[in-house]
Amino acid sequence: MKKILVVDDEESIRFLYKEELEEEGYVVECAKDGEEAIEKVPIFKPDLISLDIKMPGMDGIEALKRIREKERQLPIILCSAYGEYKQDLTTWASDAYVVKCADLTAFKSTIRRLLGLS
Amino acid sequence: MPTPVHSPAHLYDLLKSIVRLSDASLPIAVKLDQMVQSISRGFQSDRCLFLEPNKIIPDGFLYRLALEKTPLFVQEGSSFGKMDAFPEEENLLRPPFACVPIYNETSFRGILYLGLPKQHTFSPQQMDLFTLLAEVIEKTIRNDDLQQTDQRHEKRVKKLSTLWELNKALLTTVNFERILHLTLTAVTIGEGLKFNRAMLFLVDEKDRILKGTMAVGPDNAEEAGRVWASLSRRNGALSDLITQLDPESHSNLNSVVNRIQIPLEQEQCILSRTVLEARSFNTQLSQSKEGWLQTRCERGCHLGSEVGCYVGEHLSRDPAVYSFATVPLMGKGKVIGVVLVDNLYNRNPITEEDIHFLSMFANQAGLAIENATLYRNLEEVHRELKETQTFLVHLEKMVALGEMSTTLAHEIKNPLTSIGGFARRLDRVFPEESQEKKYSQTIIKEVSRLEKILKDLLSYTWDESLIFKELDLRDVLEESLSMGTEGIRSGAVQLVKEYAEEIPLVKGDSLQLKQSFFNLINNSCQAMKEGGTLFLRIFPFSKNGSPCVRVETEDTGKGIDPENLHNIFNPFYSTKESSLGLGLPIVHRVIASHRGQIEVDNHPGVGVKFIVTLPGFAPLTPGAER
Repeated sequence: MKKILVVDDEESIRFLYKEELEEEGYVVECAKDGEEAIEKVPIFKPDLISLDIKMPGMDGIEALKRIREKERQLPIILCSAYGEYKQDLTTWASDAYVVKCADLTAFKSTIRRLLGLS
Repeated sequence: MPTPVHSPAHLYDLLKSIVRLSDASLPIAVKLDQMVQSISRGFQSDRCLFLEPNKIIPDGFLYRLALEKTPLFVQEGSSFGKMDAFPEEENLLRPPFACVPIYNETSFRGILYLGLPKQHTFSPQQMDLFTLLAEVIEKTIRNDDLQQTDQRHEKRVKKLSTLWELNKALLTTVNFERILHLTLTAVTIGEGLKFNRAMLFLVDEKDRILKGTMAVGPDNAEEAGRVWASLSRRNGALSDLITQLDPESHSNLNSVVNRIQIPLEQEQCILSRTVLEARSFNTQLSQSKEGWLQTRCERGCHLGSEVGCYVGEHLSRDPAVYSFATVPLMGKGKVIGVVLVDNLYNRNPITEEDIHFLSMFANQAGLAIENATLYRNLEEVHRELKETQTFLVHLEKMVALGEMSTTLAHEIKNPLTSIGGFARRLDRVFPEESQEKKYSQTIIKEVSRLEKILKDLLSYTWDESLIFKELDLRDVLEESLSMGTEGIRSGAVQLVKEYAEEIPLVKGDSLQLKQSFFNLINNSCQAMKEGGTLFLRIFPFSKNGSPCVRVETEDTGKGIDPENLHNIFNPFYSTKESSLGLGLPIVHRVIASHRGQIEVDNHPGVGVKFIVTLPGFAPLTPGAER
């Protein structure tokens, strides 16, 4: 079973994502900011990380860089409330960029693609 | 045997007639002439003269007599010292004759001369009478002098009064044209001046020319007569009169003068010289050369310059007698223009005093103009400042709005995602046809709507980081179509494509252009809810010789309400219930950032056509089969 780390400062979002992904059959762990995410990665050893960009303290981009230094192969999705057009050079280090949406279909299919499933 | 001439009664009659004449209201020259004739008749002589000072030869006999100031009676046969007489005087100096020098105070005015026929003698009564008559004449002349002085003073007072009236009127305005008009009118209808016509030329520093700016005056003699007659009937102070006059009246003279332009370097032109030499000119062009300034150019132009000929032709009628004067108009310490006045209709000569007063008026005008110019500059600057301030405030708002929008959108998006996400989870669980299912469906739908609004908002306020590539707009348009719109998918809207065979490539961001075309297509479909036709055309277009591509979307919907037409590209303006109205503003911004244009061809009730023109950059490329 694949493990997914969901990082987002909003409790409702963490709740929603956990429910949705667990329903898909994943094991889900949550973190509420960049620091917590970095701490949990070596312990939880996720197969994929969903990373929110705008968070208090360490933001998603910073967390992305730090995690990348340790885990070169780990698929990381940047998940943001910003629109598509906020993509810039700093997001290249992620494997995918997903705009937050109430309809999580695209999000879930991106996860499947990155994990090499279906 | 010499006989005494005249009885006392006769002499008394003569005295009476002279005294009567002295009181008559006639010009002094006429009076003197008639007096001399009466004296002639009364003494039965044919040689009675009033010799004016300019007729008296300097250092001659009569000259010296005048200096002595005493009457001289020379009876027949007596001798007198006439050695110093000039030959021209001989004729007069044949006895019997009498000479009385006439003075007004210390001013020598002439000699009253009477020659009697031969063999006549001056009786003592006659000598007395003659001396008395000379006194009467002296008093007459003095009276006339006083009257002249009086009239001059009165004229001066009137001019000063007009000047004061002009001043009062000038205080009522800072309007430039009004000031000019008031000044010109004051010198044409004001008491004491009453020039027939007045014209004003202003210096254009940049082009170094004198431009005709304003003119006041009748177009012909008949009109002149009418104007003066009506003015003389009017009562009221001049200041009231001239403030009531309408400066907008387009008189013929005004139109003519407005067309005149004279280069300042035209040194022969009196108008230019007035500016360059900063002094006034008083010109009377006539055959006489008595002390007036004469200017002529080879063509016989009245104003003395090649260009001035044009002015002269229009300004004068009778080259024989045309007197005009110019004074410089001073402002900001230098000459800013010229005032030209003339007496074309009544032909009154222009005196030095007239010029003097005209200069005073010009100075007043100069001051007022300076004031008005400063005021106008101030107003201008103030307005610019206000506009800049408004713009800055607006800009700040926009920036704040932009910043706020992104933050707000972000703040709203997260909760929305939760709400919608959980609604969808519930929706998957609720049974079909259940009431709860309807509720969850509603929540999902509304959340989607909000998400769409946020998406539009964010894409409108994004930072522009365009990625320009070479594009074939036909591909972009096809991608827009593939994004899918309700009307086309359902078949209610019939699609007609008219793509040209060859079109230039366009440099652009395909994502943004795709979004823009999608917005246009979507708008059209929304306007054709009951069905219709959507035309999509792409063709090459030449704009000012440069190759462009035109994309047209034309629908058969109800069109745009003409009242709203000017607002369609304004953000946040929308007539649709479910939209923030950012669709068209986004299109507008995208097209603008691609250096293109968008135009609307609106026919209410028939349809709307949007025409997008984008600059191409390469020669035509063949398009694949569509």
